[in-house]
Amino acid sequence: MKLTKFLTSAAVGLALASPSFADVKFGSLYPISGPLALLGEESARGLELAVDEINAAGGIQGEQVVLERGDAVDNNQATGEARRLISLVGVKAIFGTYSSARVIAASQVSELAGVPYFELGAVADEVTGRGLTYLFRTNPTAANMGKDSIEMLANAIAPGLGKDPKDLKIGIIYEDSSYGTSVAGHQDAHAKDAGLNVVLKSGYPANTVDMSSLVLELREKGVDVVLQTSYQNDSVLFLQQANEAGYKPLAIIGGGGGYSMQPTADAVGHDVIEGVYDVDFTQFEVNQEATPGLDKFVEAYKAKYGTEPRSGHSLNNYVGAKAVLEALDKSEGFEPDQIVAAVKAIDVAEGTTAAGYGIKFDETNQNERASMMGMQWQDGKLVTVYPEGAAVAEMRFAE
Amino acid sequence: MTTFLQVLLNGLMLGGLFAIVAIGLTLIFGIVKVVNFAHGEFLMAGMFVTWLITTRLGLHPYASVIIVVPMMFLLGALTQRVLIQPLMSAEDDHVQIFATVGLSTAMINLALLIFGADIANTPNFGLRTPIEIGPVRVLSGQLYIFIAAIILVAALQLFLKNSQTGRAIRAVAQHRVAAELMGVNVPRIYILSFGLGAACVGLAAVLIAPLYPTSSNIGTYFVLTAFVVVVLGGLGSIPGAFFGALVIGLVDSLSGFYIGSDLREAVVFGIFLLILILKPSGLFGKRMTLSHLS
Amino acid sequence: MSISDIHSQTGMNTRSIGWPQVAFGVLLASLLLIPLGIDNAFVSHVFITICLFAALSTAWNIVGGFAGQLSLGHAVFYGIGGYAGVILFNLGVTPWIGMFVGAAVAAVVGMVISYPCFRLKGPFYTLASIAFLEVIRVLSLHFKDMTGGATGMMIDLRLGWTWMVFRERWPSLLIVFGMLLVTLGVAWAIRRSRLGFYLVATRERESAARAAGVRTVRVRLIAVAISSALCAMLGTFHAMYLTYIEPAAMFSLAFSIQIAMFALIGGIGTVAGPLLGAALLVPITEWARASLGASALGLHGFVYGIVLIAFVLFMPNGIMGAIRRFARSGGKAAVEPAQTETGPIVAPAHTVAAPDPDRPGIGQDILKVENLNKRFGGLHVTRDVNFTLREGEVLGLIGPNGAGKTTLFNMISGFLTPDEGKVSLRGVDGQFHQPTNPADFAALGMGRTFQIVQPFAAMTVEENIMVGAFYRHHDERDAREAARETAWRMGLGPLLNAEARGLTIGGLKRLEVARVMAMQPRVLLLDEVMAGINQTDVRRAIDLMLSIRDTGVSIIAIEHVMQAVMSLSDRVIVLASGEVIAEGRPQDVVRDPHVVEAYLGKEFAHAHA
Repeated sequence: MKLTKFLTSAAVGLALASPSFADVKFGSLYPISGPLALLGEESARGLELAVDEINAAGGIQGEQVVLERGDAVDNNQATGEARRLISLVGVKAIFGTYSSARVIAASQVSELAGVPYFELGAVADEVTGRGLTYLFRTNPTAANMGKDSIEMLANAIAPGLGKDPKDLKIGIIYEDSSYGTSVAGHQDAHAKDAGLNVVLKSGYPANTVDMSSLVLELREKGVDVVLQTSYQNDSVLFLQQANEAGYKPLAIIGGGGGYSMQPTADAVGHDVIEGVYDVDFTQFEVNQEATPGLDKFVEAYKAKYGTEPRSGHSLNNYVGAKAVLEALDKSEGFEPDQIVAAVKAIDVAEGTTAAGYGIKFDETNQNERASMMGMQWQDGKLVTVYPEGAAVAEMRFAE
Repeated sequence: MTTFLQVLLNGLMLGGLFAIVAIGLTLIFGIVKVVNFAHGEFLMAGMFVTWLITTRLGLHPYASVIIVVPMMFLLGALTQRVLIQPLMSAEDDHVQIFATVGLSTAMINLALLIFGADIANTPNFGLRTPIEIGPVRVLSGQLYIFIAAIILVAALQLFLKNSQTGRAIRAVAQHRVAAELMGVNVPRIYILSFGLGAACVGLAAVLIAPLYPTSSNIGTYFVLTAFVVVVLGGLGSIPGAFFGALVIGLVDSLSGFYIGSDLREAVVFGIFLLILILKPSGLFGKRMTLSHLS
Repeated sequence: MSISDIHSQTGMNTRSIGWPQVAFGVLLASLLLIPLGIDNAFVSHVFITICLFAALSTAWNIVGGFAGQLSLGHAVFYGIGGYAGVILFNLGVTPWIGMFVGAAVAAVVGMVISYPCFRLKGPFYTLASIAFLEVIRVLSLHFKDMTGGATGMMIDLRLGWTWMVFRERWPSLLIVFGMLLVTLGVAWAIRRSRLGFYLVATRERESAARAAGVRTVRVRLIAVAISSALCAMLGTFHAMYLTYIEPAAMFSLAFSIQIAMFALIGGIGTVAGPLLGAALLVPITEWARASLGASALGLHGFVYGIVLIAFVLFMPNGIMGAIRRFARSGGKAAVEPAQTETGPIVAPAHTVAAPDPDRPGIGQDILKVENLNKRFGGLHVTRDVNFTLREGEVLGLIGPNGAGKTTLFNMISGFLTPDEGKVSLRGVDGQFHQPTNPADFAALGMGRTFQIVQPFAAMTVEENIMVGAFYRHHDERDAREAARETAWRMGLGPLLNAEARGLTIGGLKRLEVARVMAMQPRVLLLDEVMAGINQTDVRRAIDLMLSIRDTGVSIIAIEHVMQAVMSLSDRVIVLASGEVIAEGRPQDVVRDPHVVEAYLGKEFAHAHA
């Protein structure tokens, strides 16, 4: 048994950064190496800022919050890290995880261990669609993205173009991993519900180096409105190749990923991206009356990391984490059932968080008040144009 | 009809792109008989350097050729000298394959370490200007790549046919032992050839950087396609690689348009497998009895 | 890598149990006992991962190591197993059945995709395996109805042994440890069985293996089927363990590379290597991720790549190679035979006189060659060659270089198909057959040697001969016994444990004959077995051949050493430019003016005038 003890302590020693006393530990599980690292890290920063803020205000239940990081680089690793956090570190709950596949894998572990899991950024439906007791999700999802993009098209863009939405030919293109596939599925379903005319739905691999065939197909079919759900590389490629092929649809509506990032605009050129729409998590050019506390977040971000936030991921993680942590402060303890009870009681009204949306969990533990916003690239900047309450600018329509 | 022409032209341009990446690979493949799994990462390294030079010094991306090509030559020569040469005597190919796979992994992650996961955009200095040819259009940068690929093929052919060194290289490629007996310094030829192959991909990197966003994993996609091209064209055959690339470019473009963008990879690799199985000497290869085929 | 070495290091050797066996046993046991003792979910997870990778890597090694086909697409089989398990799980079928369904599918897929690829070697097979992986991944994304597409598939959390899903970790650990034991057992059994010898022989020298009657394609297909089936079963387990699968994770190139890498680092082609590799690398990886991953993007992947390169450069034979070197230098040097000289041949002393063509002991025809024609491009290599060989006869085949002798041999042993004409071989059933490939020729009792010796360099002398002996003996012990006996008969007794690559040219030639003799052929084709050996050895070789002849074996010998031709051959045929120009008793043939002119030259004629 001596050997066992030695090994345990060695393993614990390896895995732990010196823990201090009277702290409550939570897991921070994001992909921070590998291909998803950039936005994984950006998401993790939001959580860290929320924790900093809570700690500065006295912690929760009088205890300082300590985050233990885990790296969810692949699915096996995600489950491994979840186990490490739960059994070695003894975290009371896990926050994460940006990637849908990773949270699905990791939360199967936490669910069996009975440890609460708070998802702040992954968008796939399956995350909350599995009937898990201890998994909660604060952020808007693929379903929101699909619904909001079609609504923006039908309610704002089509009227602005002076068209009946039913007359528009819609093309849905998406990168073929789980992210693009599920958003595109919702777009398709909502469009059909709204009686819109979807003439093309096509996936492609995100690492492609050529999208000219797809551009030609869109042009050939006379697509007026392109809905693209994509990462950065393929957003840039599509916008450039569409432009160079002389293909100018009435509207391009991007879904998250590449479309929300400044480097994308810089890469394709501000003139090319002018007027392109984007549906995503709340971004920074937004009417702050709808998103109180946003400038405070941006300041804290700059102070801690020395740059502007690189995308809205940090903001959404921050908002979700903050609401959950504040609820835990009111909880009676850190037992899983106490945590669940406290979180289920969350009732944050719309228009009171830095991301604009409110927080209240429905029976599947999904935040039913989560929503996305509509943005448009105007003069090289991504500004919020939809819904009206959050808009900082009018939509612009090409002649 | 216009659309069809445009699809064809896009395919040709894509072919030019694949060709310029694959030429270096087929050179190394044909002479040193090593599959360089890190070839795509050589491309990636060259693109990052082009990006650095263009953004930091404000030069035209094509100007960075004077730095990138010699640099890549050195990188290739060094790889051969330090990594491949000690393994040449190994009895099976396992170790050489693993060596280049290891190099590829190390380079991808090194790039991630240095440049981060963000994409790097090389300013295009007007190389993305569409040129109208009748009813169809093509980017100036793509056209330059296509022309450069042709010139590179011709130049390499001339070099291999007519120069002293070129003849030595061909002798080594055809029969290593015989060449050695004839007094050719085989290790030197190998280092030179690997360097030459890497220099070719350096040129490719300079030409491609202004057209495609650079990221640490861009090599992976290119290199798999380049393998397809090299096998299709006949191992070590430089003109073969060029025509193989055109075929793959056309197949890619046509299948993307007529079959569906999500399946084009399956079509390209499916053709690759058919060629490997039915005619491993390649579509354009001479009847070659290579040591790798039994 | 010699097979005996493996035996002595896997703890399976019946003869002695040394420290490597003990160490291996301790390592194996610790994989189970440490996590059970510590009883912590994360520790268990790490050990489950070790067992999983060790088992996958061991299964890979059957194809990648034993058969020498470097696959970087093995995740295909793992993925098939995973998908089969999950799809059936959701239909209410327990994964215990699902895993066998997956294994069957994977074995079939493995054989179907490997069959056309087996003429591709080295990097080509590797490229093909990657391409298959990509195609299958793309297809699994495309056919959403079956695979769930990119979003993947989940299983319901039905707990218990029936469903292979557990709240605790130890049952999963037990299952994967059991699977590891099974996989190791299979690998070990293959390695020391006929199949294993055939695989290694095929890897080392395909043509020599075919000559030894090995159906090289079939044995490799069997290896692929076993390897794929094992990978699929592990895939089913892992899918149940993760409870969630998606194409990107199940059909991943990086994952395939990792599997192969563990085997490389442990020692490719050894039984214990993959386990050692996984046991060493998985914990290091976990540690590297925990301590490096968070601090700098890509650092740990970079270190990973560098470690791989370092292993390739400095320890290409992996940990097992290093252990072996250490074990040898550490006082076990006596294992190496001190002598490389061969022993005397146990053969009756004959008076060397020209045999009578109709001496007693010569029976009816056993081999008939009729109108053989072969062209290479414009070159007519053999032209209407006709001859017969009688039972118990020694037929000398002579002729100048380039006369087409070896081509003729290749046609009468199935290595080359003639353009015209036929080769008939009488079987034990008394009927004449016309086989078309080396294995069928071997089945009828044809054995051959090669002009350029083709030893299985990495095997010992004993193992080389065993490849031949396996043709008659299915059991490893019988084959070993027969091989030893043959070796002593051929004067190779003292060298049994020497690696073939260390032999002298005379020794190699004799090994070549010994390997064929172990097959107990009825017809023996000897291609210049006396070229390049010294006078004493020639004398011994002649004695050897006479003793073989006296056991009733028919022999055709290509030979340039005239002394041997004259004293051995009952009859001689002379081939020049692809045509038979003379045939008859040796004494008569050498006096034939055509022969003297075409082959022997004027000097010879004068000297013997």
